Amino acid sequence: MSDIFSLISQSATGLFHLVVFPGGLFALLFGLVLKGIDRKVEARLQRRVGPPLLQPFYDLVKLASKETIIPETANKTLFMYAPLLGFTGMAVCLALLPVPGVYYGMENMGDMLVFFYLLPLPAIALMVAGSSSSSPFGALGFSREMTLMFAYEVPLLLVILAVAMQVGGEGSAEFSLRKIIEYQREHGSFGFTLSMLPAFVAYLLYLPGTMGVPPFDVAEAETEILEGPLLEYSGGLLAFFQLTSAMKLVIALGFGVVMFFPGTVAGGPLVNIVWFAAKCLLLMLVALTLCKAATARMRIEQALSFYLKYPATLALVSVVLAWVSL
Amino acid sequence: MSEALGKEFTLPLGPMHVALEEPMYFKVTVEGERVRHVEITSGHVHRGMEALATKRNLFQNIVLTERVCSLCSNSHPLTYCMAIENLAGIEVPRRAQYLRVLADEIKRVASHLFNVAILAHIIGYKSLFMHVMEVREIMQDVKETVYGNRMDLAANTLGGVKNDVDAQLFGYITRSLQRLEGHMQEIIDIYASNPMLCSRTVGVGVLPKDEAIRYGLVGPVARGSGLAVDVRRDAPYGIYPELSFNVITETGGDVHSRAMVRLREVNESISLIRQIAANLPEGKLTAPLPVIPAGQGCARTEAPRGELFYFIRTDESDIPTRLKWRVPSYMNWDALEVMMKDCAVADVSLIVNSIDPCVSCTER
Repeated sequence: MSDIFSLISQSATGLFHLVVFPGGLFALLFGLVLKGIDRKVEARLQRRVGPPLLQPFYDLVKLASKETIIPETANKTLFMYAPLLGFTGMAVCLALLPVPGVYYGMENMGDMLVFFYLLPLPAIALMVAGSSSSSPFGALGFSREMTLMFAYEVPLLLVILAVAMQVGGEGSAEFSLRKIIEYQREHGSFGFTLSMLPAFVAYLLYLPGTMGVPPFDVAEAETEILEGPLLEYSGGLLAFFQLTSAMKLVIALGFGVVMFFPGTVAGGPLVNIVWFAAKCLLLMLVALTLCKAATARMRIEQALSFYLKYPATLALVSVVLAWVSL
Repeated sequence: MSEALGKEFTLPLGPMHVALEEPMYFKVTVEGERVRHVEITSGHVHRGMEALATKRNLFQNIVLTERVCSLCSNSHPLTYCMAIENLAGIEVPRRAQYLRVLADEIKRVASHLFNVAILAHIIGYKSLFMHVMEVREIMQDVKETVYGNRMDLAANTLGGVKNDVDAQLFGYITRSLQRLEGHMQEIIDIYASNPMLCSRTVGVGVLPKDEAIRYGLVGPVARGSGLAVDVRRDAPYGIYPELSFNVITETGGDVHSRAMVRLREVNESISLIRQIAANLPEGKLTAPLPVIPAGQGCARTEAPRGELFYFIRTDESDIPTRLKWRVPSYMNWDALEVMMKDCAVADVSLIVNSIDPCVSCTER
């Protein structure tokens, strides 16, 4: 009898984490507000007035009310399911996102690797979208997205490895996010640890690439290939891409906070959620908004060589430092 | 990266495209990220203006030519009026000639700044775009304050200019120029040295000097390839012989050189406007107008984009039997096929913008 109760309560909490917190409702609202802040701050940096803070919400409402047009020459099934691929990937990923002091995801399993596998899903969804839309711009966007993904996944893998090896110690690696948070509680945040600093910088540089913002918005460059894969999308399907992007923003930032600044503050869960959100916001302003306002778009081959040269090298330095346990 | 799309395919750029300010259709044959062939189709904004000109009288055509295009909206009526003055032998008063140069140089500054701002927009440098456009706004304010309009100045009329610019307005212009000059130094530094900007523009869309001569290029595009052509110096008109200015050239022949030519020309224009403010003579604004005789006349000026040529044929009526103009973009856009040879898809719109194409002028 007690088994059944525990099973029900387990799946109920699982559902709660998927739909309400930290995934689903919380992440969507938080992600969209972050996007709104991002747009507003960027506009102010460029001396524009900028859209209202809630503009991402208005956009979604508008898109939802619009007709969805599927090009005649498109592969209809792929075209329809591509946005859902990224969306579900992010939804699952969010249910595992630890919020330090409040929620620890999958507890003792190697959930860090799950993040590494799920994070590229929106990019893959974009590639599927681009190739199924039968537009030449989509095809170009597809090839660019693929190249770019290859470029920024290398530093990400090295960053993850560096963090895991630092926690594991003595040549082994620890891929449980809970253990990583606990390790940092004892030994200090990695963001302030000298040997992990190169990895942190590498992660900062990884963020604009994975979020597709300047200077790495090559796959969707509107003045070159007219939003590329998204060109043929409209209505509800386009809204799904925007939702996915907002969720991915929360994951990418949250993952960074967990890896480098998982510190908690005294007080209840609510205080810690706000603290977590504040850290995400700060990370976004530094890595995305400022970067976006201060740079021009690179060509795809420039972006590729940039990622393989600088962030990858920086992350590699941290891996070596973690390995020799400095 | 071209493995994913090994075969050639066609990329339709335009006629409506975010990076193009006006409709123009490029059928770009692409292999991976490389452009193999470009086919240019134009004619989307043909309005039959040359035919319209033969339905209107000589005065109405001043208004018509001002509306050929917005960015060179002063060069067209100016050259048109000059063609008629050459035909009828009208001597334009000196004060009017000074004021004509004033209007033309103000427009040149705004036009050049607009083009380099769009360059920043195309490479995704939105902050720089906003900054340059904001600096350009100084010139827009000057236009609005002095002439009452932000784009069409309506400065020219047959035999002179329409409105006077008094000492108080010149004071305002000089103060504005001072503000502009401070910003210009900063902007030129940014364009000359910003590593991101340079990595996207240096060596892109190269047009060697011999090709520039072969295609008969004009304006900043020719000057960016080291070809020192400038109608203001080569075939002086108005009071340009009395003013001192440099013909700016760059030797790179790439997108970056063309942008630098435009930016440095802004400084030359600022100096020209200062000279006008200092030396403006008193006098009439218009010459008395004789009956325009039957005959043919032509005139050419240096528009912001290069040499602008007007031809007019009249009978003794007040309606021209033929009005024909050749615009700088017509000469320049054929050279696109040299510039775009084997360029990257990412650079197509950048190269198109670098010749500052004025589609509505060319197709009129």
